[in-house]
Amino acid sequence: MSTRGPVIVMELPETLNHAEGEKFVSEIQPLLEAHRPRVVLDCSQVQQMDSAGIETLLYCMQEAMKRDGDLKLAAVSPAAATIMELMRVDRLFEVFETADQATRSFQNVATPEDSQSLPWYSSGLGLADLKIAS
Amino acid sequence: MGLGAIVVIGAEFDGSRSSLPLGTELEYSLAASLPCIDVMGRSVTERTVERFVRAGVEVVSVLVAAEMAHAVQPFSSLLENVTVQVVTDTGAAVIQKCKDFSRGGIEHAFIVSASVYAEPDLLDLFYFHRESRQTATRALDSEGPLNLWVVNCAKAHYSNLVDLLAQAEGSAASYFIRDYVNRLSQPKALRQLVSDSLRGRCALRPSGVELKPGIWVDEGAEIHRKARIVAPAYVGRDSKVNEDTLITRCSNIERNCCVDYGTVIEDSSLLANTHVGIWLDVSHAVISGNKLLSLERNVTLEISDRSILRAAGSVREDVKDNTLDFSYGTREAISDLEQQEELQNEPPTPRTWQFGANPIQG
Repeated sequence: MSTRGPVIVMELPETLNHAEGEKFVSEIQPLLEAHRPRVVLDCSQVQQMDSAGIETLLYCMQEAMKRDGDLKLAAVSPAAATIMELMRVDRLFEVFETADQATRSFQNVATPEDSQSLPWYSSGLGLADLKIAS
Repeated sequence: MGLGAIVVIGAEFDGSRSSLPLGTELEYSLAASLPCIDVMGRSVTERTVERFVRAGVEVVSVLVAAEMAHAVQPFSSLLENVTVQVVTDTGAAVIQKCKDFSRGGIEHAFIVSASVYAEPDLLDLFYFHRESRQTATRALDSEGPLNLWVVNCAKAHYSNLVDLLAQAEGSAASYFIRDYVNRLSQPKALRQLVSDSLRGRCALRPSGVELKPGIWVDEGAEIHRKARIVAPAYVGRDSKVNEDTLITRCSNIERNCCVDYGTVIEDSSLLANTHVGIWLDVSHAVISGNKLLSLERNVTLEISDRSILRAAGSVREDVKDNTLDFSYGTREAISDLEQQEELQNEPPTPRTWQFGANPIQG
């Protein structure tokens, strides 16, 4: 695991099955329970993945989303990408070629501190530029 | 006029190896068997043989390399004067066949690799050869020479075919084909052929009936009234397309396949006897049983979870505990014996799909 600013980068194990998935979840769970967790899962080492592995990814995503955070994938192999597409989960994740790119993508989004100082309608989406007609 | 034809399956009889792709074992074996697998109802080999018969060729001999014998299936239509022979040395067998033809009064013969799908005017090619007065004439197209020749059987006295063709290549004029040609050298070519056929870019026509423009359905196919088929597409004999599925973008579902509930098949080929599970997205792929070749990512997968992909007829044992278990990178081949047992357990084929009332979009 490494942290790059507010973003946590974690490397997935070589085999992502039920047992490895549980182990991985126990490691990442405390990080997902933080406020607005921003997580990048580096899939470069993944050689084998089963449905429990996909469920692990979905669980992590769900936990991050619950706390207003996000989870992104990096370095997904063509085989894993094909499986994810076949199972229709590819569209749920933002996928980047490298962990660095995924990390940078978080930095383009407004930080929680920024969001708190801005009105609700300008939460990092560039809506601050909009003028209210009235 | 004494005209014969020799169709060779499974060997590059001109000594070249260029047409076979580099890639995984699965991709290689799929590429090698492309002439023998069904493409919209019938194999390319059968279609080639039929073209020769229709052109008035008196005798057609199909020579199958021993390593490809398992892939060859019986022809769906009865063709007279067509023989199929499994041989160990393809080159020697072709020479021998030419000699046999010559003894039987056949003066000229076409020699063609089954992996070449071409639609030239065969008689024009023959007349061109006869007028050129050479031992052999080789066909070529804009991409280069093809493994399609016309030879004088009486001059086939060389010890091997490569010598004969090499000698001929040096002296004979080439015949340029402007018509449709597909080399079927790799799985992508299969998709191209299907697409070209369904879009009417070549003379290859799917088996069955064209229910609406671009939508071909073969005998015994069963399509649920809530399935959507968007032209062009093909559903093969005895295949089943379940509720809420979408078949689109030149996809072909070959015979005895099943596309289960909610699945989308887009720009893909399901080879014969394939079951695709529920709620999946199949795009830019060729699937045979539990093997998936993604043409977009150039990756091959063997999926062991039978609820996702399996050979049609196999039982979903894994559903017992309601868990999915698939992996890629593993090679879990199902034994033939096991498959046969499972086929026996398969429920009887449902009644034929009723025409009409299906929301098919033409």
